[in-house]
Amino acid sequence: MRSIHRLLLPLLFAPLCSAATLQVKDDQGRPLAQVMVTQSPLAQPEADLSDDGYAPDGVTNTSAEVVTRFTNAAGEVSFDPPARPVSYRARAQGYVDVNFPAIEDELVMQRMTPEQEIASYPSNVWLSQLDFGGDQELKKTFQLNCAFCHQQASAFMRNERTEEQWLSVIERMNTYGARLPTEDHKKVASLLREEYRRLREHPETVPAPRPWEGHLSEVEITEWPIGDGFSQMHDFLVHPNGYVYIGDNLFDRIYQLDPASGEYTVYKVPHDEDMGLGGIMGNRFKVFPKMYNYMGVHSFAYSKKDGNIFITPSMQQALLEFDIKTRKFITHHMPEGYYPHTIRVDDKDRVWFTLALSSQVAMFDRSKKTFTVYDLPARGVKEWLILKSLPIMFSISPESRPQPDPDREGTGLPMPYGIDITPDGMVWVARLYANDLACIDPDSGEITMIDFPYEGPRRLRADADGNLWIVAFQDSLLVKYAPSTGEFTSYKLPVINEVPYALNVDRERGVVWVNGNQSDTILSFDIASEEWRVYPMPRQRFFTRDIEISEEDGAVFTTNSHFPTWQSEGGVPTLLRITPLEE
Amino acid sequence: MMPSRPRRGLIGLLALLPGLHCGLAITAEPGWLYYGGDQGGRHYSQASQIDRSNVQDLEVAWVSRSGDMASHGEEMEKTSTQSTPILLPPAAGESLVYCTPFNRVIALDPASGEQRWSFDPKIDRRGDRPFRCRGVSYAEEARTPAGKDCRHRLYMSTHDRKLWAIDASSGKPCADFGDRGQVALYGSGELAPGEVSNSSAPVVADGVVVTGSTVIDFVRSTTPRGTVMAFDSFSGRPLWQFDPLQGHANSGSANVWAPMSVDEKNGLVYLPTSAASPDYYGVDRPGDDLYANSVVALDLHSGELRWYFQHVRHDLWDYDTPAQPILFEWRKNGETVPALAQLTKQGFVFVFNRLTGEPLWEITEQPVPPSQIPGEHSSPTQPKPIAPPQLLNPFLMPADAWGLTPFDRNDCANQLADLQNLGLFTPNSEKLTLMFPGSLGGPNWGGGALLGDSGILLVNVNNVAFTGRLIPTPQDLDPASRKQDHPAAGHRMQVTMQGTPYNIEIGSLQSFLGIPCNPPPWGKLVAVDLVQGTIAWETALGSVHEMGPVSAPFHIEWGTPNLGGGIATAGDLFFIGATMDRQIRAFDVSNGQTLWQYTLPVDATATPMTYMYRGKQYVVINAGGHHMFQRKMGDYLYAFALPD
Repeated sequence: MRSIHRLLLPLLFAPLCSAATLQVKDDQGRPLAQVMVTQSPLAQPEADLSDDGYAPDGVTNTSAEVVTRFTNAAGEVSFDPPARPVSYRARAQGYVDVNFPAIEDELVMQRMTPEQEIASYPSNVWLSQLDFGGDQELKKTFQLNCAFCHQQASAFMRNERTEEQWLSVIERMNTYGARLPTEDHKKVASLLREEYRRLREHPETVPAPRPWEGHLSEVEITEWPIGDGFSQMHDFLVHPNGYVYIGDNLFDRIYQLDPASGEYTVYKVPHDEDMGLGGIMGNRFKVFPKMYNYMGVHSFAYSKKDGNIFITPSMQQALLEFDIKTRKFITHHMPEGYYPHTIRVDDKDRVWFTLALSSQVAMFDRSKKTFTVYDLPARGVKEWLILKSLPIMFSISPESRPQPDPDREGTGLPMPYGIDITPDGMVWVARLYANDLACIDPDSGEITMIDFPYEGPRRLRADADGNLWIVAFQDSLLVKYAPSTGEFTSYKLPVINEVPYALNVDRERGVVWVNGNQSDTILSFDIASEEWRVYPMPRQRFFTRDIEISEEDGAVFTTNSHFPTWQSEGGVPTLLRITPLEE
Repeated sequence: MMPSRPRRGLIGLLALLPGLHCGLAITAEPGWLYYGGDQGGRHYSQASQIDRSNVQDLEVAWVSRSGDMASHGEEMEKTSTQSTPILLPPAAGESLVYCTPFNRVIALDPASGEQRWSFDPKIDRRGDRPFRCRGVSYAEEARTPAGKDCRHRLYMSTHDRKLWAIDASSGKPCADFGDRGQVALYGSGELAPGEVSNSSAPVVADGVVVTGSTVIDFVRSTTPRGTVMAFDSFSGRPLWQFDPLQGHANSGSANVWAPMSVDEKNGLVYLPTSAASPDYYGVDRPGDDLYANSVVALDLHSGELRWYFQHVRHDLWDYDTPAQPILFEWRKNGETVPALAQLTKQGFVFVFNRLTGEPLWEITEQPVPPSQIPGEHSSPTQPKPIAPPQLLNPFLMPADAWGLTPFDRNDCANQLADLQNLGLFTPNSEKLTLMFPGSLGGPNWGGGALLGDSGILLVNVNNVAFTGRLIPTPQDLDPASRKQDHPAAGHRMQVTMQGTPYNIEIGSLQSFLGIPCNPPPWGKLVAVDLVQGTIAWETALGSVHEMGPVSAPFHIEWGTPNLGGGIATAGDLFFIGATMDRQIRAFDVSNGQTLWQYTLPVDATATPMTYMYRGKQYVVINAGGHHMFQRKMGDYLYAFALPD
């Protein structure tokens, strides 16, 4: 496999002669490789957060970056002299975290006790041992509906709960938007109680996570904390202008962040004065202390023509355009369709996005300023009736609107989710609950449906050869679909029981990057060699939903969008970048 | 300088015998020598004469009245009768001894309830703080010659901050202790009357008396320190003191108002510390506020810190450590570990090796929502044991609203929909916030009762939701609201937090009918298997038939808020009052079935005790009502026994 440091353009760093080097050893004096050493600022720069804890519209603040590197085979890691007061944390698998104020020559780490070590394992390995009484379909239903916002088997989720307490948790989650079928509530509550208890009594049955590997000493991870514990930094965009644009899905704000300086400017998405929280969807989060999701900024894509950014506002029948020059938003209202979701712009400057709730795909023709909406087929009469009744349902106020009674198949909600455009211009869509793919010929408008032979096609991307790469969420697989042959190929993920949310393809370098949200990792798959690499995240409960790759240097970005964010280690969302270190 | 170690008396020697270090073992018949049954607060008696087969035959053996109702009249409205008597050993007169809310100590004949002597310290009764006295402590003082006065002593910390030592046989002050039987405690005479007081009994062991304090801790930001003091049990000479906040500026309290425990064999005293002041606003006390909201193990003789565990970091909810640490032997997989179980208002049970502080159940870090108050850096996580489960469900969504009719249920659902509510540890803000559990708990000072060596802990749990809100000042307080006392009585109270930019408003979450919005039971009894980490059973505790504007002629067992604790016996029974229905009940410990109950003249917000005396088992409970809950007051001590 081509190593990342050869694949990516090296970044410029201060000469190593000015760097401080630390050697990490175990308590026997042996060098420890693959120790994650994180350098954090002691204080955040002064910031104007006067708008309910957030930066007001147009205000620029600075995020103090957090840098993580890994020790090499000699146990050594170097950091440039910090520009501001910092502290350090050393973390290694099986060792007790060490926090220290400055780089000195040597650091000794102590092994965890066996109990501590097992307890420190990430969610995915614990989740792997829940077999739901042998009912794998129920486990998949659970993962589909309960693992798309947060980790399921983190330490505090494994606390002993009574069946009634689990039931209460499940019912509360369904009010927030989970769709675990009512008929499964008691079964799942009972199984979670029983099986988490079994694991608590027999933790030795939990497999160890994948060891961290040598390639890690070749990269640097940089994080920029933005927003607060109530934010959700959902999707984002690495723009050719050098900025990264991140959407706070719950607070209708776009963060324009300059990775070179850490400066970020917040742009607040406007909404109609008479609009209520939650937009036309209604506010599912009334009990939250604060919420500002009138629009619900979701997914980002930019126009290669003028660089303007298009954003799906999930809570509206609209498309947002962010003028990259004036930094103003333009709202394009749509006549139909519900829940604008994932968005892409094709080479003809047409804006394509899925309408997840109404099972449609929309195309916005920029030149004509018109929308064309493509209906994807219903899976049956009942689903067709449900989809056709949506306008009537949405004419009822959100408070009085009947709520659906979900079933395992997601009847009425095939949910077109991910979307991408292959080099030949065809538009491809994955339907999460329907387990199928749709292909739209933009010239003829013809729609072709293809069964997806796995479960949970959430997001997809096309590679340079026109193949589609799709995550199978519940099946814990990376799947390749070759439109030219109609052939599906599946690849096991390098970490067990991951529920991959999204992916992106570095077309230039032939690498697929996959979100690993239960294992606190990002995964890379070399298409040519079919080899995986695993990159551990510097914070526990690091839930990611999107990946972007810098066309300029191949750096890989993601955001920590665990929901709620306060459950993530550190309690603040971050934009994260993985870059190679120079040799 | 270390005090010279007194020679151990008979009790001390017996305490060194393997397996006999609990006070229960020192008499031929099971007695009740300590407030919590033994020095480790197990609330357990080996007495088994009353058992599941005959408990339904229990009848009143005698009734004694302290006379407080007659002598103090309206002043009783400022009291809460919470005393648990102790039974003195034969060498000390074999009296049943308890204290009244005004710190009168009364000794009774254990068989007849007839008064043998009383002692009135004539406390300074000024101030607003309610008068309480949960008990007195006994010790044999080996440095006093046998047969002399005050060889057997009782110790009591009073409302007006005096530590008294009195002769256990006569009730006369011990002249060789302090100033004619008393020593002044921190705050005595220096602070406004009632600002610092006492409610729980001191602990005494191996020549050392340790006492905590009760502090009004939410009315201003810098309240008095919660200093714990230790004295020589013979002379009253100060030995050491411990400031739970270790000098942390801009704050106060973190006092120890709940009962302490002692492991005399290992020379450790365990302190359940309360919140730092003010309860609901922590901007001026940044950080974790160690050692507030903790169980702290100190060396009994030096006061040096041995270990601690903080169960709430940077408390913003008034989650004092409310209950006596329970010392017991943890037996699992053939291993026996000296253990400590700590109940918290949040409804958690933390279990530790009591010598090292090492958790016996893994403690996980629960991420919690951040505060919205400017400058308030709430802790990002709070500790939560992997097991046993929380003793109540802290989530209450609009769909969970409860009501007698669709109208009050709808009212509750609407109220819930407007609350900030992210579960346990949601910080208060300027918006109304759900506090579930509120400051009442969960468990409270009644603690738990351990069923012998079974590892089963029986706990009475409150299960009513409060709401709270920080109100920016200046704002005039409603004088009427200040008089109202407690959310559990259906009030909304508003209290100043002097020195902060806010007042705090707290009330119970209830419908327009005055009925709690969460589903019953509103009080419950829970049996926790500490070794398996599970809940064995739970049942409603209390009937609401007297809580409405008109009493119902039949019991409605939906559980009531409860204060006071219960005791377990070798007769496989659990006795408890505590409820707002004037009942004392006996439960079958195997399944929670009520086997017996008796209607007292007033509520018994106290923990009962039991003893064998001359071949007969008695169950005794102090019934004094509770004005805080707007319940009728009294001054009764009831004893029950099987018919002859």
